[in-house]
Amino acid sequence: MKRLLVPLLGCAVLWGQPYDLLLKGGHVIDPANGIDGPQDVAVAAGRIARLAPSVDASQARKVIDARGLYVTPGLVDIHAHVFGYAGSLLPDDTALLTGATTIVDAGGAGWRTFDEFRRTVIERSRTRVLALINIVGWGMLGPKYEDDVGDMDPKKTAEAVRKHRDVIVGIKTAHFSGTGWTAIRRAIEAGKLAGVPVMIDDKIFTNTGRSSRQKLLEIMRAGDIHTHVFNDRQVEIISRFDGKVQPYAWEARRRGVIFDLGHGAGSFLWPVATRAMAQGFYPDTISTDLHATSILATESDMANAISKMMLLGMSLREAIERSTVRPAQVIGRYPELGTLSEGREADIALFELRRGVFAYKDAWKKKMLGTERLECVMTIRAGRIAFDAKGLAFPDWREAGAYEVLP
Amino acid sequence: MRRLTLLLAFAALSAGAQEIYDLLIKNGHVIDPKNGRNERLDVAVVGRRIAKVGRDLPAACARNVIDAGGYYVTPGLIDIHAYLDPNGPGRGLNPDHNTLRHGVTTAVDAGSAGWSTFEPFKREVIDQAVVRLLAFVDITAPAGARSDSGARAEESDIAAAVETANRYRQHILGFKAVVSDSAEWQPLERAIQAAARSGGVVMAHWQGAGEDRYRELVLERLRPGDILAPIYSRLNPWAGYPNALPAYLSEARRRGVLFDVGHGAAGFWFRVAAPALEQGLLADTISSGLDRDSVMLPGATLTNVMSKLLNLGMTLEQVIERTTVNAARAIRRPELGTLEEGAEADIAVLALERGQFAFLDSGRAKLTGRLRLRCALTVRAGKVVWDHDGLDAEDWQEAGPYSQFK
Repeated sequence: MKRLLVPLLGCAVLWGQPYDLLLKGGHVIDPANGIDGPQDVAVAAGRIARLAPSVDASQARKVIDARGLYVTPGLVDIHAHVFGYAGSLLPDDTALLTGATTIVDAGGAGWRTFDEFRRTVIERSRTRVLALINIVGWGMLGPKYEDDVGDMDPKKTAEAVRKHRDVIVGIKTAHFSGTGWTAIRRAIEAGKLAGVPVMIDDKIFTNTGRSSRQKLLEIMRAGDIHTHVFNDRQVEIISRFDGKVQPYAWEARRRGVIFDLGHGAGSFLWPVATRAMAQGFYPDTISTDLHATSILATESDMANAISKMMLLGMSLREAIERSTVRPAQVIGRYPELGTLSEGREADIALFELRRGVFAYKDAWKKKMLGTERLECVMTIRAGRIAFDAKGLAFPDWREAGAYEVLP
Repeated sequence: MRRLTLLLAFAALSAGAQEIYDLLIKNGHVIDPKNGRNERLDVAVVGRRIAKVGRDLPAACARNVIDAGGYYVTPGLIDIHAYLDPNGPGRGLNPDHNTLRHGVTTAVDAGSAGWSTFEPFKREVIDQAVVRLLAFVDITAPAGARSDSGARAEESDIAAAVETANRYRQHILGFKAVVSDSAEWQPLERAIQAAARSGGVVMAHWQGAGEDRYRELVLERLRPGDILAPIYSRLNPWAGYPNALPAYLSEARRRGVLFDVGHGAAGFWFRVAAPALEQGLLADTISSGLDRDSVMLPGATLTNVMSKLLNLGMTLEQVIERTTVNAARAIRRPELGTLEEGAEADIAVLALERGQFAFLDSGRAKLTGRLRLRCALTVRAGKVVWDHDGLDAEDWQEAGPYSQFK
């Protein structure tokens, strides 16, 4: 009898309150749907159930007062390190704390190690973890492996992409210090075989036999991703002679090459970023390159990277677009990811735009002071509250009686 | 001999010889309970060590000066209870960013490794970490591939555990054991035996059982100096009537049993802590119990846990005391948790923010408060390893041409 009653009661509750969660009164920025203003967001069964100017509070079992906060799709960080690389971090306590609900591991695993990556990290994380598979079979284990052309097998890599199609969104080539185009060409070959984009992190020095111009204009395909755009050593985005954005960078952008921030510890310099941003050369996608060094030195998380972009002139709306719908498109996961469209999995971030004086640092530990900082106050992953810095979703302890774990 | 050299060096200093400081933290309000300091003072560092703490130390003598005006300057915080093995099968986190960002320069892993897995844990995690990482070894962790469900430490395991503790004396503080209804006293007894034979501390983790058992634990089983956590858990037998704390608690404290916060996912409840604090039941040490299940909700980073206790009525000096000198004593590392001259230069620069803040406990209940402790800058062994407020960073426009960029 009791067994029968419980589901019946459950139905009754559901009948009266169709939504599990309602974010009320927030300023929604959902660029994919052209929304930048007050909207309510309702969640049911882990999905976005309703996005409307007003949803009745009595319709939801839990109502969160989002007034004064920005409500965005969960951010999509297409450059993070959570496996293989020596500075790898765990996904959840880095991404979910700063508003990212989807992260893309950028080349930690190759075809030899991908099964292990999947088992030990992807399947154990609350964050949605996707991957760019390294063209190197052993992944990002250091120069000895990353320079080994013999371990760059396009066929095996493409096979791995097909096997793990649900989580692999592209190919990565990184840190190749040898001469010539072999590493990049093999990565692109794998990308062609598997029908996915390639992200390139390439050190171009005078003796590599490679040039940025040729890479961006001839070697890379439309849709391939050049990461670390505000670095000064991989591509000289800014001419050292006149301080202007290189004409070939503009041309590459017209060709469809994607320029990704990939902030990291060593890839964001004020002299480069200020000049590029002032000339309107914005990164297409905002990403962190989050790892053990960058999380401490430059605090390169998504909220901080967005704050820096805003400090250099990008609007919040544009920054959200380049952190949600744009990266989702770049990795071929739009419209599943990066929107608050009804029916999509309920990955949502809430931010407060704080006013004050805040310090932002670049790769060389030089600071720029700003008066705004975007701070993540809540993250919802698949409809569940994963992080709640202000206790917005829970009652005061004095009113909760002899409470146990509250729903 | 070394001691004598040090003494002579200090004698020379006090005789007036001036030193060049590598780092000088000026104008901060120093709280250093071990040395009875609670006033505006400057802190000078030479190499890895504290060189001097005093009034108006000359900026001209320092290669690098940080202005900490408006901030509190404390010994690097010590978190004696966290889970910091990101590679293990358990719930561990990466050590560095979960500690250094919160002012913690010494963290103690509370049993991620057993004796048989300690060597790889040391090699992969402890030796790679910037934070000073110490450990309690889990006495019930099985050797090799043995199942860990209801595992019993056999005599041979105790011998091996003692041997491990002796070999890694620099890192291992003692042994960890869980006390619950389902287990017998055996795990705890084994931990105590191993600790007695290796000269270590036992950290007991109370996971709920009857009051008789609790009384026996604190009055008879645990030795003076052993640590029991979590003090503000709803599973403590007295948690149901916190307005009349039982006499055995004060008796246990008189015996020298130490009570630790160990917040974690399940160990900290406002409904237990608030009345207990009102009656004067202040934990001996404040620790995070941080793991994968508590870092986001309910938010158990050490400064956050300290903030919760501040808003429940502890004073700033009390929370600093419990995360520096008290913690150092509890883990028997009296050289830590202090800003005395000659000590390793582990320093936290903290901001006490005032405003409207909210915090959650293990039940997800909310406490609103007006204070929040936030770490602005962390120094570990003389090096700045965290600088959120850019106190140690030059403005980019003043930096001149970047050497590789025109």
